[in-house]
Amino acid sequence: MIRLQHIAKEYRRGEEHVTAIRDADFAVQAGEFVVIRGRSGSGKSTLLNIIGCLDQASRGKYLLDDLEVNGMSDASLSQIRALKIGFIFQSFHLLPRTSAVENVELPMVYAGRAPDRAAALTALRRVGLADRADHYPSQLSGGEQQRVAVARALINDPALILADEPTGNLDQAAGEAVMELLQRLNQEGRTIVLVTHDDVIAAYAGRTLSIEDGVVTEGRAS
Amino acid sequence: MRIPGHVWFAWRAVRRYRLRSALMMIAIVIGISGLTIMSSIGQATKQETLARFKNMLGTFDTLVVRPGAGSTRGMTNLAESDVTLTFDDAAALSGAPFARNVVEVENAFKIDASYSDQHVTPAVFGVSPNWAAVRGETLAEGDFLTAQDDQALSRVAILGADARRDLFGSSDPLSKTIRIAGVPFQVKGVLNPRGAGPTGASLDNLIFIPVSTAAKRLFNRDYLTMMIVQLKDPERSDAAKADLRQLLRARHRLDGTAPDNFTISSPRAIMAQVQAMGSALGSLLVVITVLALIVGGIVIFAVMLAGVGARRAEIGVRRAAGASRAAIAGQFLAEAGLISLIGGLIGMVIGVGGTQAVSVVERLPFVIDVPVLVGAMALSILLGVTFGAIPALKASRVDPIEALRG
Repeated sequence: MIRLQHIAKEYRRGEEHVTAIRDADFAVQAGEFVVIRGRSGSGKSTLLNIIGCLDQASRGKYLLDDLEVNGMSDASLSQIRALKIGFIFQSFHLLPRTSAVENVELPMVYAGRAPDRAAALTALRRVGLADRADHYPSQLSGGEQQRVAVARALINDPALILADEPTGNLDQAAGEAVMELLQRLNQEGRTIVLVTHDDVIAAYAGRTLSIEDGVVTEGRAS
Repeated sequence: MRIPGHVWFAWRAVRRYRLRSALMMIAIVIGISGLTIMSSIGQATKQETLARFKNMLGTFDTLVVRPGAGSTRGMTNLAESDVTLTFDDAAALSGAPFARNVVEVENAFKIDASYSDQHVTPAVFGVSPNWAAVRGETLAEGDFLTAQDDQALSRVAILGADARRDLFGSSDPLSKTIRIAGVPFQVKGVLNPRGAGPTGASLDNLIFIPVSTAAKRLFNRDYLTMMIVQLKDPERSDAAKADLRQLLRARHRLDGTAPDNFTISSPRAIMAQVQAMGSALGSLLVVITVLALIVGGIVIFAVMLAGVGARRAEIGVRRAAGASRAAIAGQFLAEAGLISLIGGLIGMVIGVGGTQAVSVVERLPFVIDVPVLVGAMALSILLGVTFGAIPALKASRVDPIEALRG
């Protein structure tokens, strides 16, 4: 499903040249649950953004569903994100003062559909929050907010779910609930790529990669 | 993404940030309601002024000649005026090629008139019989003055509606004898009311008598206080005015450098002046309102720009969810447009309500200046979109990676 060939990413931060990714060369098959482990600053978020078509690699080749993504226009990349990819973030990023169900509806418009409340309610039911549909984010616990975010990531039925430290802001019980949810989605056939610094999370994965100083290696690095 | 999607999100954002949206709308509301009220009241005032002049003059295709070289404003006071216009002048004018009719007027104000124990002080107008036709008088009761009345120096009087009401109340005035400055006159007719004149005062507190009777039996003088010359060709008013002046100067034996001892005024010219004054005032008001709308646009600009900063995370989430840069720009642009549209609609409702209130208080006709209103709505949306453009562009350039960090 995903094929990265010698991907590198450099950018400037002020005067300084930063090399976020030196060499990423790996593939993820459809239906895999891959955890990429790395310390903060290891380049793991940048890698996830490139896989998610939010960012573009400086060098190398990235194929998503055999489609070469490098150099595509903003509109084409946006279309890919809308139809194929669902994002989950560490700090949930729900729209404030917007009910759970309206948050879930949001991506539908970008996939060219009219907002569909019934579909959004179905998605909320799948994450066990049907009774919280009209609650605002401020009325939900962290775990509940993240499950709403999962429902939002699912609403356009994407094949690929990308999660950036999804349990980072949650207590252990809520984190486990979210991980079990992701595991269930994987069992339904969705491909999941998750980046984390947390060793415990890796236990949920079918396969683990490590990233250190921008270099991705197979397995658990020391 | 299609247009309805932008509008959908824009509407939700407008509702989500109610206070912010209201702030952005205020100046637009003030601008549009102000424009509606001012232009509509301006229109109504113009109509009302025209109607009042028409009330007073009956027709605009005339030239009015008064004695003395005084100003054209107001009625010449008899005590101050030169004694220059004569019945012979009037007769000469009525033979002139440009004149259709010449009305002879011999008038005085605040003359005591009484019937039994009722006293009033109307203006008394001695007029030639053609007055009724030129001014378009219609009679409520009885008949108007005739040539015979004039030749016979008859003591007959036609009452204006106010004079009739004050002297007779509900009783029948016809053939009753009233006293004008002590002289008995028989009531021959009553005019229909004309309403208010340009100053707002009633035009019905009048008594008409034959002009010759007025000259010889009441005021005891043989000159006129006014001549109204109805023109054959109202389009050639200026040429007629020049001819009329030459004719009178010749009759009055005025040499080349001597000033006129009469004044000719043209109701058309006065009307044009009044209307030009009105429209100059109107343009000023429109300029002020447009300034208010531009201030509204700047408020939208500033608040939207601040909003882009505050909503970076939202922009990031939308971009991750598949929004292109164009879609983000479209949403913010739709927000600005929607806010100014709603502001414009609220302003319009307030404006129409305000116009109605003012028209009741000021006793003006209720007129809505529709073209100005449509223009104002278009302008407000244009302003929203124009001043929303830079914030929208800025929103579309927010880096989603930066925005989603942390």
